[in-house]
Amino acid sequence: MPAKRILIAVAALLYLGFLAVLGGAYLVGLKQVSAWPPGETGPGIADKDLSRVQRNVLQLERKMSGLLPKGLYIVIDTAENRLYLKNGADVVRTAVVSCGSGVVLEESSGKQRKWVFDTPRGEFNVKSKIANPYWVKPDWAFIEEGEAVPRDLEDRIESGTLGDYALGFGEGYFIHGTLYTRLLGRNVTHGCVRVGDEDLKAIFKAVPLGAKIYIY
Amino acid sequence: MKKAATIAAFIAIGFVCAVPGTSQDKAGLAKKQNSMNSEYSLAKESNFYFVLDVLGRKLELRVRGMVLRSWPLKSMKFWGRPGFSGNVELVHKSTLNAPERIIIKPGDAAKTEPAPAAKPLPSGTTPANPAEFELEALELKDMPKRFRLDFDNGLHVAIKSNNAGPAGFLGALGEAWRWYVDLPLRNLFSRKDGKGLAELQLTFESDKDAQAIYWHFFEGIKGIIL
Repeated sequence: MPAKRILIAVAALLYLGFLAVLGGAYLVGLKQVSAWPPGETGPGIADKDLSRVQRNVLQLERKMSGLLPKGLYIVIDTAENRLYLKNGADVVRTAVVSCGSGVVLEESSGKQRKWVFDTPRGEFNVKSKIANPYWVKPDWAFIEEGEAVPRDLEDRIESGTLGDYALGFGEGYFIHGTLYTRLLGRNVTHGCVRVGDEDLKAIFKAVPLGAKIYIY
Repeated sequence: MKKAATIAAFIAIGFVCAVPGTSQDKAGLAKKQNSMNSEYSLAKESNFYFVLDVLGRKLELRVRGMVLRSWPLKSMKFWGRPGFSGNVELVHKSTLNAPERIIIKPGDAAKTEPAPAAKPLPSGTTPANPAEFELEALELKDMPKRFRLDFDNGLHVAIKSNNAGPAGFLGALGEAWRWYVDLPLRNLFSRKDGKGLAELQLTFESDKDAQAIYWHFFEGIKGIIL
């Protein structure tokens, strides 16, 4: 019996000790939270430096606004499959688009190449504007279909696939039309951005060469 | 004489009004200068960056100083050392069930490609039930609703949507244990070995918010925590 009592006493002491340590941990946590946010407790500005800091802030604001794209530009959200034609902070037009599927194509024979069908993300420019474009099918287009890759350029050319207009933004990527309009709003492409006919026409006519494209 | 007295009265009122605001303005100005300096260093490059405004309760994705997406925080919890603000870089993004890319082999696409639509859609509209098609693709809906972001300054951020609770009673118990027992104790003992723990949990209103953050935040992205 005494051994059992000792065990209970030890367990109770351990439990109380644990609670005490946990209580201490919460006190430390509360102290840390009260010192937050740290920026508020940092060194202030001396009166003599006030005008210099004000000038500095104004200069930074000017520099920041100078970084914004000039004129019309395109913003593409690859997650939502939306294209925004913008002018400054104003959204001039919104279009439902299709971006890259994220699928990986692996060549099982030959060179055993691999392609990842992502729409590239980053800052780009409109490098080319083409009316009535034709598609020069790259190797992956044949490999994906299980067809032999042709040797002649003529065998790679396909018309009508890219719609009426295409805006190139480098590395073979285009904003172009599509026959698959019912898939607009889904991630289905090989990396290009597919747009519906009406939106594509408006964007093509409005956006000049060199205009910025932000894809995220 | 009367005119001079009126002017003097206006100046005095202006002075009295200005004095209480000055110390607040100074603190605000110092903070603004610091955050703008930090942001300009990121915005002058063409890369995307994020701004986590903890007091403003929002997370933003930006480029060139322009806000691309803004996700308001529903709630926020924190344990550990408070000095985690400043410029940071995401070093690791992790989740229990990370979405995996679909790998296709030659000839697979020919079997699965849906037929083209018959007529074009009006501008700015979503096609009728676009979700009805099962596609071989990695989409926003495939992204996790709970995940962790580890930053180079030692800050760990757990992101979750309001609906993404732990699975079952045991999951809820495990999460409660972690937040209310494990983290306080780790915080207490990590202070002694000089490392210091910083654990932030951000909860967002909708599943899509958390999923979009997973989609847009890649390892290596830089940002500012205000």
